[in-house]
Order: sequence, then structure tokens, then C-alpha cells
Amino acid sequence: MLTLSRLNADESLGCFVAEQRREIIRQLAVFSNAGMTFVFSVLIGFGIGWALDNKLFAGKTAPWFTFIFFALGIIAGFRSLWALTKMVRDE
Amino acid sequence: MEHPILFISLILQGLGLPVPHTIVGHTFIEQLCTPYMTYTWFVMAFLIVVPRMTLGKMELVPGSGQNFWEVVVGGLMDMCVENLGEKGAKMLFPMMATFFLYILVSNMIGLIPGFTSPTANLNITLGMTLIVWLTHHFLGFKFHGLNYYKHFMGPSKWLAPFMFLLEMISNFARLISLSMRLFGNIFAKEVLLTVLFMLAGAYFAPLPILMLGVLVSVIQAVVFVLLSVLYCAGAMEHAH
Repeated sequence: MLTLSRLNADESLGCFVAEQRREIIRQLAVFSNAGMTFVFSVLIGFGIGWALDNKLFAGKTAPWFTFIFFALGIIAGFRSLWALTKMVRDE
Repeated sequence: MEHPILFISLILQGLGLPVPHTIVGHTFIEQLCTPYMTYTWFVMAFLIVVPRMTLGKMELVPGSGQNFWEVVVGGLMDMCVENLGEKGAKMLFPMMATFFLYILVSNMIGLIPGFTSPTANLNITLGMTLIVWLTHHFLGFKFHGLNYYKHFMGPSKWLAPFMFLLEMISNFARLISLSMRLFGNIFAKEVLLTVLFMLAGAYFAPLPILMLGVLVSVIQAVVFVLLSVLYCAGAMEHAH
């Protein structure tokens, strides 16, 4: 009986450690993604604006779409960070 | 830069097939003989043959081979169930497990001299990411019908067009960040190993990078699959 209870305790401890490790790995995935998503949001916003200016309207609207979509990209980046903080807060 | 010696390319050259010296070949047959294609087939063959060999006959009390695969598949299944629920996990598990094993093995073989990682090529990682990206939108439409667009509209009505643009931008950022991270990490590892091997291979200079390479290979495989699962879970749940 004693050995059995000790076995159970060991097992539950193992489960706890495994669960903690799994949580760490999950957080590693989510947070390591945050920086890259932010950067690429800004770059994609800039890219769309640049393409609209120089390809679609052939330079007639020159800096304006670039500015607007660059700003949108930055806002989108911060929005993804905001969504992340909200997810962390809810947990 | 000096070319690393790739034994499949050498065999193909010996057979008289054209192996291109650029990253992507020009003719169709050259494209089929590029290292990342041939090594992808090698990984596929590895993943088909080795489990067959090690698994043996399935038994109630598992032997060492069966035990190993049970741990791998069971751990993956646990991760899927945790994030997707029982039903979603059963639906998505084959795809995610395939991605995990493929990415893991193709990251790992880059550590052995004579091999290269197929995942050190943006074409491979972008292809996989496109599959995941299209799948998670398909799942969104499957689970919510046309109401899926509400995922992209934000909470308030007045801000909806603005929010739609923002969501589109961050959605495309997912596509790029997922593919670029895997590609960047593995490519960096490959280049670093090649350079160190050229500079001071005789003094075991690549050894610490080899050790870190094992870590990076496992982490990147886990991260890729975990993020795919999270994206799919996000598309399947209700809009906020």
C-alpha cells in the first residue's frame, strides 16, 4: 500500500512537471511569434501602400497611400500585440 | 563559397542526371534534382521505411520500438486535444503529425555531414505554410459558413472596414512569419555549420553549433506545429 501511494505521488508529480513543460513550450511558440508578426505587419502595410502608389496609380498619388498603409500596418502590429496581452490576461 | 558534399547529388551525378548548381534549376528535370527536392524524398522514404521497420507487430505490451512511436504520437495527440478539443484533434491530427515528423526529420538530417535540410529552403517552408493558411480559412468557412467574415470585423460596427484592413494585414503577416521563421532558423544553422566546418573543422569548431542545432531543430518543429494548431483553433471558435 505504501509503495502504491508513493507510486501515485511520483506519477502525479511527473504529470505536473510535464504539464508545466508543455505550458512553457506553448508560451514559447506564442511569444516568439509576437515579434515577427509585428515586424511583418508593418512591412506588409508598407508594401501594400507602395504597390498601390507605384504600380496601380503609377506614381500619381505618390506618397499618400504609402503613408496611410504604413500607418495601418503599424496599427495592425500593435493590435496583434494587444490581442496577445488580452489572451494572457484571460488565462 | 565551397559547396558542401551532398551524397544524393553525387549519386545522381554519377547516374548522369543534371544536378543544378543554383538553388533552383532551370529545366524540369533539373528542378527535380535540386538537393532540397531529393532530400525531401529521402525524408519521405525515411518516414515510411523506418516506422515500418521499428514498429514490428503491434502488441498489447509494447516493445521498445512501439513504445517510442507511442510516446511520439501520444504526445502529439495530447497537444492537439488540449488546443482543439476531442473532435477537432481527430480531424486535424493526421496533418499536424505529418508536418511535425517531416519538419523534425528534415531539420535533423542537416546536422549529419553529407545531408542538407530541405527546410533550409524558403520554397518548402512557404509551401507548408500555405497549406496551413488555406486549411485554417477553409475550416473557418466550414464551421461558420459565410458568417466567418465576422472574425475579421472587430466588435463595433462603425470601425468594421478599418478593422477588416487591419485583420487582413495581420493575417498575411501570419503567412510570412510562420514560413520565414522556420526557413531563417534552419538556413542560419546550415550556413553556420558549413562556415565553421570550412574554417576549423579539424578542431571540432562546429560541435557547439551542432548541439544547438539539435535544440533549434526540435523547437522549430514544435513551434511550427503548435502555431498551426492555434491558428486552426482560432478559426474554429466563435467570433468575439
